[in-house]
Amino acid sequence: MIKKFIHQFASPKTYLFQVDRAYPYIFYASLFVYIGSLFWGLFLTSEDFVQGNSYRIIYLHVPASFISQSLYLAMAFASAIFLIWKVKLSAYLVKSIAPIGAVTTFIALVSGSIWGIPTWGTWWAWDARIISTLILFIMYLGLISLHDSFTDYEKADKFLAILVIVGSVNIPIIKMSVEWWSTLHQTASITVTEKPAIDASMLYPLFGSIIGFSGIVFCLVILSSKLQILLREKNKSWVKDYV
Amino acid sequence: MFNFAFDSIGEAFMMQSANGQYHGIYVWSVVFIVLTSLLVTFFIYKRKIRNIGKKIK
Repeated sequence: MIKKFIHQFASPKTYLFQVDRAYPYIFYASLFVYIGSLFWGLFLTSEDFVQGNSYRIIYLHVPASFISQSLYLAMAFASAIFLIWKVKLSAYLVKSIAPIGAVTTFIALVSGSIWGIPTWGTWWAWDARIISTLILFIMYLGLISLHDSFTDYEKADKFLAILVIVGSVNIPIIKMSVEWWSTLHQTASITVTEKPAIDASMLYPLFGSIIGFSGIVFCLVILSSKLQILLREKNKSWVKDYV
Repeated sequence: MFNFAFDSIGEAFMMQSANGQYHGIYVWSVVFIVLTSLLVTFFIYKRKIRNIGKKIK
């Protein structure tokens, strides 16, 4: 029954028509929230008494870092669905998310490096959090290259799904690296179980920037998946009608 | 909570902190990199979708 439900609602055609309808609403709402939160964080919050104004990078670095890991988890989830129920839309999504994940991980790494100069006195340290994030970036690039190296899409999808699931072991390592090892990178300021370690005036714009950035990245995933569907289903009659 | 942290655009650009250091260069570099990365990615996908659409037609 679950299989029938998934196959009915996860057909590339249904997906494409649904996301096309939702896309403008998600895009403009996310853009509004992101720009508003950035304005709030960059101009309206007071200076941090330890880091000075450099702390304002938090409104760009944390959303990118959070999303880069979330996208990988989404890929692992889609990979599991593909391997269990053979839903081809899941395979398309895995391939579509990888480049967007690479972009957000790149942003997280670069923004973290720049933030490191005034805060740590160095732009790079061989620190557990930074290394595990760099591994995530290399994994995204590796997965894209691996899929592109195959001529048979079915084989490529299967290999990619297995590798994504195996690689997901890196996500808890990234998350826990600051707890397990002594690192330059600070521990998490926001956790589910404890009271946030940062003031509410700084926290609200941070939440806003995470929500807004997530929405914008979601729109990029929509575009990437749309491209993937058009490429893979180009010979279907409904695609010809769609374009 | 909603008071401006800076008195002028120049101050907001330079972002001088209490310790005397200017942090604007770091903050604005990151803003530029993030927004450029997002814009370029949107542009690339929009163009690729347009091109594949033309080929299918």
